[in-house]
Amino acid sequence: MTRCIITAIFLLTASAIQAAVSDGVVRGKVTDKSTGEALPGVYVLYGKNQGTTSNDKGYYIFSTQAEKLTIVFQLVGYGALTREISFSRRDTVTLDVSLEMKIREIDQIVVSAGKYEQKISELTVSMDVIRPALLTSNHITDAQEMLNKTPGIEVMDGQASVRGGSGFSYGAGSRVMALIDGLPFLSADAGNIKWQFLPLENISQVEIIKGASSVLYGSSALNGIINFRQADATNIPETRFYTETGIYGSPRNRNWKWWNSPRFSSSASLSHLRKLGNTSIGLSASVLYDNGYRRLNDEKLARIGIRLKHNSSKLKGLSYGVNLNSGFTKAQDFVLWEDGYTGALKQSESTAITLHGDFLSVDPFVSYSGSGRTRHELKVRLQSTRNRFPDSEKNNSDAVSFYSEYQGSLKPGEKTGLTFGICESYGKINSEFFGDHTSLNLAGYAQAEYRPVNRLKAAAGLRLENYFLDGIADKLVPVFRTGLNLQAASYTFLRLSFGQGYRFPSIAEKFASTTLGSVKIFPNPGVQPETGWNSEIGIKQGLSIGNISGQADFAAFLTRNNRLIEYIFSYYQDPVTGIPDFGFMATNVEQSRILGFETEFLLNIPAGNVNTTVTAGYTWLSPVGYNRITHKTTGVYLKYRRKHSASLNIASSWEKFDFGLSLYAKSKILNIDDVFLDPGTREEILPGFYDYWTRNNKGYFTLDGSLGYKITPRLSLSFVVKNFTNTEYMGRPGDIQPHRNFSVRLTGNY
Amino acid sequence: MRNLFFLLVITGLLVNFSCKKTESERFTFLTGAIWVTDSLVANGQDAGGPGQLLADFSGEARFNKDGTGSFGNYTGEWSFSSDETQLVIKTNAIAFPVTADIKELTKVSLKLTTVMPNPMDIQNPYRIRMTFKAK
Repeated sequence: MTRCIITAIFLLTASAIQAAVSDGVVRGKVTDKSTGEALPGVYVLYGKNQGTTSNDKGYYIFSTQAEKLTIVFQLVGYGALTREISFSRRDTVTLDVSLEMKIREIDQIVVSAGKYEQKISELTVSMDVIRPALLTSNHITDAQEMLNKTPGIEVMDGQASVRGGSGFSYGAGSRVMALIDGLPFLSADAGNIKWQFLPLENISQVEIIKGASSVLYGSSALNGIINFRQADATNIPETRFYTETGIYGSPRNRNWKWWNSPRFSSSASLSHLRKLGNTSIGLSASVLYDNGYRRLNDEKLARIGIRLKHNSSKLKGLSYGVNLNSGFTKAQDFVLWEDGYTGALKQSESTAITLHGDFLSVDPFVSYSGSGRTRHELKVRLQSTRNRFPDSEKNNSDAVSFYSEYQGSLKPGEKTGLTFGICESYGKINSEFFGDHTSLNLAGYAQAEYRPVNRLKAAAGLRLENYFLDGIADKLVPVFRTGLNLQAASYTFLRLSFGQGYRFPSIAEKFASTTLGSVKIFPNPGVQPETGWNSEIGIKQGLSIGNISGQADFAAFLTRNNRLIEYIFSYYQDPVTGIPDFGFMATNVEQSRILGFETEFLLNIPAGNVNTTVTAGYTWLSPVGYNRITHKTTGVYLKYRRKHSASLNIASSWEKFDFGLSLYAKSKILNIDDVFLDPGTREEILPGFYDYWTRNNKGYFTLDGSLGYKITPRLSLSFVVKNFTNTEYMGRPGDIQPHRNFSVRLTGNY
Repeated sequence: MRNLFFLLVITGLLVNFSCKKTESERFTFLTGAIWVTDSLVANGQDAGGPGQLLADFSGEARFNKDGTGSFGNYTGEWSFSSDETQLVIKTNAIAFPVTADIKELTKVSLKLTTVMPNPMDIQNPYRIRMTFKAK
C-alpha cells in the first residue's frame, strides 16, 4: 500500500513538473527607480485574476501558457507600471523593471487592526510595524529586546507594557495580547508570553496596536496586541541563515565583575521558503546558547518551525495548511540578586532554579476567498507548554490549550465591510504549583466599517465573551470599540478612536502558591477581571520633499483601567492552607488614569550612493491612580512606569557598507512596591537595593552601533556594539540590564 | 456627514458613560457613615483598651470617597479589593498594607477580620476581629 502511495505521489509530481516545463516562463527583478534597491512584495499581475509577488530580493517568476501578456507591476507607494510581452511556448523571458516611488511608509499594508489587509494610514488606531531588517541589523535574537526599542513600549522582565498600561507583575498575566499569525500566544497557566519560543527566524513583520483591542482579540488585549506575522514562500526559493557570536564586556561597576573567563553568547538560525506547485513550504530552525553576564543565569534554546500552505487548483480561492512551531529551553531565570554591593550580577542561590521548558503549537487552517468580496477562515491552535524544574518538582506545570476561530469577512459594496467571528479557547492545567484547572472562553464578535464619503472611514465593533473556570461561568462581558479615519489632505490622515478592554485573571494570579527565596507568593482565588478603556486622537502625515520621503505621526491618548490586578505585599492568611505569613498576593486594588502623547517620524533620505533612514520616537506619560467616584487622580504614580522615553535610529548604506546608530533614553521609574523601600522589609527581600535605588534611580541613555560589509551580494558580515556607553540601568528591582557587549554575525540570503 | 455626526455623538456618549461610575451599595454604606468601634478583638481577647494591641484603632473610623480615611489614631488610604469583599488599608504607622475580609457591611454595621504578625510568637499570629457601628 505504501509503495502504491509513493508511486502515485511520484507520478503526480512528475506530471506537474512536465506541465510546468511546457509553459513559457517570465522572470525578472523589480527595483526602486531612484535607489536601485530591490523591491519585495510587488504585485505582478497577468492574465485574468492571475499573479504573483516579488520576493525579498525583488525577484519574481511565473509560468504561463499564454503567448501574449499584459503584465502590471503594483506596489503601494509606487506608481503602477504596465508592460506587454509576447513569446513562444517554452521560452524564458527576462523582464526587469523599475518602479517610481511616491509615498511608501504610510501605505504599508497591515492586517491586525481589522483582521484584513488595509493601509496603515487608514487605520483608526495607532499601530507600529517592525520589519525583520531591524532584527538583522541590530543582531536581535530576543523579541523583548526588539520591543524595548519601539517607542511607547517597555518589556520589564517579560511583562510587556504598551503606553504605560502595565507595570511588573512577577511574570503572571499580560495586558498585552501576543499573537502569531493572529492566533493567541499566551500560556494557559501563567497567562504570560513565552518570549523565547517566538519564531523570529521567519518573521515578515510585527504589528503592534497601541490601545485596547479586546473587541477583535478578547481577554488580555486590554492595552494592545503584538502580532508576529510569519513569512510565506514566493515563487523564488529563498534560504536565509546567520551565525553569530558575542561577548560581554566588563560592567561599569568593577566590583560587580564576578567572572574570570569571558562570558560568551552564540546563536544561529536557518530558514528556507519555497513553493512546490501550489504548495508553499517554510522550514526554520534556530539555536542559542547564552552563558550570560550574571551568575546562575544562563540559557540554551532551540526552536523549529514548519509551514505548509496549499492553494487548491480545483476550487479557486481555497487554501489550507498547517503551521508548526516548537522549542526547548534549558535555563536559569534571574530572580533576586545576591546583594547590591558586589553581588548585583550574581543570582542569590536561594532563588536559582533550573527550568527545562518545552513548547509546541500546531495550527491547521482553511480559508476560502470568494470573488474578493467574501472570505471565510477557520483557524485552530493546539498549544502545549511544559515547565520542568528538576530541583523543585513541586513547581512543575503542564498547560494545554485548544483555540479555534471561525472568521468571516463580507464586503457588500465599496462603502461597507464587515468582519465577524466566533471563537473558543479551552485550557487544561496540571500542576502542583497552580493546582489542576480547566478554563473555557467563548466569544462572538463583529466589526463593521463604513465609508460615507471616500475620504472618511468609520468603524465600530462589539464582542460578547463568557469565561468559565473549572466549569463555573463568570458573567457575560460585552466590549465595544469605535473609530474614525479622515483623509484631510493627500497625505494627511486624522484618526479618532475609543475602545474598551478587559482581562480575566490568569490561573497563576488566582492559584499560584510558591516561595522564591525570601519571597512568598499567595494564591487569591477571589481576584476579579480587570476592565478599562482607551481613547486617542492622532494624525499621520506622509512626507515627500524632493527625494526625501517618510511619515510623521502624533497621537494623544487617555486610558482608564479599573480593578487593575497588582501584586501587593502584606501579611496574608493563605486561603488554602490557612497559614499566615508575609508575601505577595494578586489583588484588584488599582484604578488608573494614563494620559499621554506620542510622536514618531521616519525619513528615507537618498543622497548619491548613500541611502539613509532616520526613525525617532518620543512618548510622554502621566500614569497615576484615579478615583472613579470623585473623578480625581490620587496623585500617586502607578508602579514601574516611566514618564519619558525616546529613541533615535539612523541607518545608512553606502556601496558595500551599512552603518547604524541607535540612541535610547528613558527617565526614572516613578514608583515601586513599598516592600523594597520600607526599612522593615527591604534588606530581607533584596539586600542592598534601597541604597542602590536612592543613588541610581534616574534617567539614562544607551547607544548601540553597527557596521556591516557585503562580502558578496548574498553574504554579509556585521559587527554590533550594544550599550556602547556601558550605561548601568535597571528594569524591575534587582534586575540589572546588560552592560556593553559585542557581537559578530555572518548573514546569508540565497 | 449626518452619519459622521451620529457616530461622534454615540462615541461621546460612550466615553461619557464609561467615565461615570455609579456608586455600589457597599461603597455607599462604607463612605456614608462615621464608624465607631464596637469591639476590637485579638485571638479572642479584647485588645482595644489603653496600651493593648489595637488601642490605636479605637475610636472613629472614616472612609472618605476620595480613598483617604482615618482609622482611630491612624490616617491613610483605603480601597476595596476582590470584588468589594476585602478592604486594603494603608497607613504610615504600619509598614505594609493591611488586607481585611469584610464579614458584614450594612448601613449600620461593619465587621472586619484580618491577621497580623505576632513578633513574640511568629508561629501564632494575631487573628483580629473588628466591629463598628454607624455613628
